[in-house]
Amino acid sequence: MSEGMIIFGAWVAAALTLFLFSFLYKDNPFFKVAEHLFIGAGMGWYFQTVYYKIMVPKILEPLNSGTGFEIAMVIIPSILGLSLITQFIPKISWISRYGFTFLMGYSAGMAIPVGLATDFMNQVLGTIEPFANFFSLSGFEMFNALIIAIGTVCVLFYFFFSVEHKGVGKKVSNIGIYFLMVYFGASFGNTVMARFSLLYGRFDTLVNYSSAKYLYATSWIAAGLTLFFVAEKLVKTLTKAESAE
Amino acid sequence: MKTTKLLFSVFFIISLSSFSFCSPKYTGNSKTVSAIELKNFRALDFPYDKGESGLLTWENTSDIMDAEFTVYVSTLSDNSGWIKVTSFKSGESTAEKINLPFWSFEKDKKIYAVPLEFNNILSSEIKEPLSYYAKVEVLKSGKKYETSVLSSRIEGNWFRADRLNNLLFFLVVSAVFFIAVSHAKKKGLFIRRIAGLDAIDEAIGRATEMGKPIFYVPGIGAMSQISTIASTFVLGEVSKKVAQYDSYIKVPHYDPIVMTVSKEIVKQAYTEAERPDSYKEDINVFISSDQFSYAANVDGMISREKPAACFYIGYFMAESLLLAEVGASTGAIQIAGTDVDHQLPFFFTACDYTLIGEELYAAGAYLSREPMLVSALKVQDFGKLIFMVSVTIFSILLLIGDKLNWDGLSQILTDLLKVY
Repeated sequence: MSEGMIIFGAWVAAALTLFLFSFLYKDNPFFKVAEHLFIGAGMGWYFQTVYYKIMVPKILEPLNSGTGFEIAMVIIPSILGLSLITQFIPKISWISRYGFTFLMGYSAGMAIPVGLATDFMNQVLGTIEPFANFFSLSGFEMFNALIIAIGTVCVLFYFFFSVEHKGVGKKVSNIGIYFLMVYFGASFGNTVMARFSLLYGRFDTLVNYSSAKYLYATSWIAAGLTLFFVAEKLVKTLTKAESAE
Repeated sequence: MKTTKLLFSVFFIISLSSFSFCSPKYTGNSKTVSAIELKNFRALDFPYDKGESGLLTWENTSDIMDAEFTVYVSTLSDNSGWIKVTSFKSGESTAEKINLPFWSFEKDKKIYAVPLEFNNILSSEIKEPLSYYAKVEVLKSGKKYETSVLSSRIEGNWFRADRLNNLLFFLVVSAVFFIAVSHAKKKGLFIRRIAGLDAIDEAIGRATEMGKPIFYVPGIGAMSQISTIASTFVLGEVSKKVAQYDSYIKVPHYDPIVMTVSKEIVKQAYTEAERPDSYKEDINVFISSDQFSYAANVDGMISREKPAACFYIGYFMAESLLLAEVGASTGAIQIAGTDVDHQLPFFFTACDYTLIGEELYAAGAYLSREPMLVSALKVQDFGKLIFMVSVTIFSILLLIGDKLNWDGLSQILTDLLKVY
């Protein structure tokens, strides 16, 4: 890539980042430009990904070089998929029901056994397994096993909708909420740290682009944005003053 | 003549040495290999699998008490191409270590059972039924013995008896579902109060009073995701109320299929509310299938249109806080609900009410009181009840089993709950 293109890329990246960050101040035309560019680029990228990663290897290539059986195995799901598009033509939109029915049936068939296995059986087994050799565990492991079992039952009771939570039920449900809050707190902290690391990455890029190598891209764009907001504020204040007079 | 003799000798020596190179090499002290008969030595197809494994079994007898076993397999019928599979000492690799439940496989400590995973052995995926040959080399008191060669054929099984527990549980849940449906239709079923859902009326009422729109964001899940399905149920009820109050709702979409389903749901809700004339095609709008472009655009729409109420109900990932934060900055009343546990804290911080996981699944039933949905909720509760009872009773039984050294009890209990 030529030096000019690298510098141009840096300017575009710095500008789009700052335009999106400018939303922290308020909605503005620069944010709108970045927002619409983001949607267009996102959809363009998504389309080419679907075309080259799904349509070409899963449909077009097997149709060109597959055996009779393989071609049939491509044509049938493709027709079901295409049937979903008939939704946009009211007269024949009923055809889409075949595709949707297959989609829902397939999803339910896939999800139900897996759901039963992972959400129920594995969960119960994971909770009770330490009790199989409980007396050979260390004190800490015993405490851990008990906390997990009690926490699981109490949290589950919080999500039990068939009885009113009052009396003992209320207490059990409250213990469940405490367990949930501890988890959510830990999860929040963990995710915030991850987000900060992304933010640092972005700041690092902006600092890089503010160097002479990139013709001070970040600095110029930030200055331009600031000038725009100051000018806009001034114009608004003056207009307000004039209309008041 | 001398030259001929010399040549013959050289040829003889080379032949001998090459034979010794080509013949199988055995390590250890002994070089002699004698035949041995293992009691009930059998080559089998591994039960209840996709047809990728075989199984070698033989009985543990007193004459092989301190032996060491090496298993060889081949897929060639001419007694060649032997591949060493495993090597183990007596007492190891017994039938009790086979990963199958007690109702589908006899876990006898006195029987050796060696699974032969041909995917790994041949380093290729097994797609067709395959015939294999197997033999065992036994090292006993420094002497090597070899069994006769057995053959068998591996193929996939249509019925997974090892997953019988999963099937039985599914049948019980299905039966409970139909009983609950019939009960709900006849008498109705009780559902406790859920605060977040009671606030929906308040939010829509506020929007109507202020003359501002309501934003309903169904998240970035596909139609096959449970949270998205639950979200469409809530959307139906919210739309019905919006139509009754003659307010205005906007539903920005990430997934075109979810949008198609949502269109039908909103249209149906307006019809049920006897306001089909108020329904507009642009209530449901497609934004983008790219996560952050979607978030950026919805943020822009919220900040420009300043809705009175925002609903974030469905499947959300990193965009949860981006959306909820902007909604909060506009002063909208916000109700969120998702089953993505690591995004819930963000909704807690930025929204007025948050539906946590199961509460979202319950929302459709709670709002509509539709017998089918209420029954589904009851079945979920039944599952939770079984879970709580199972954890309590099984934990106590396992503790008793551990205290009294009843290994069989813990084996049975863990097999019942294990997923194969």
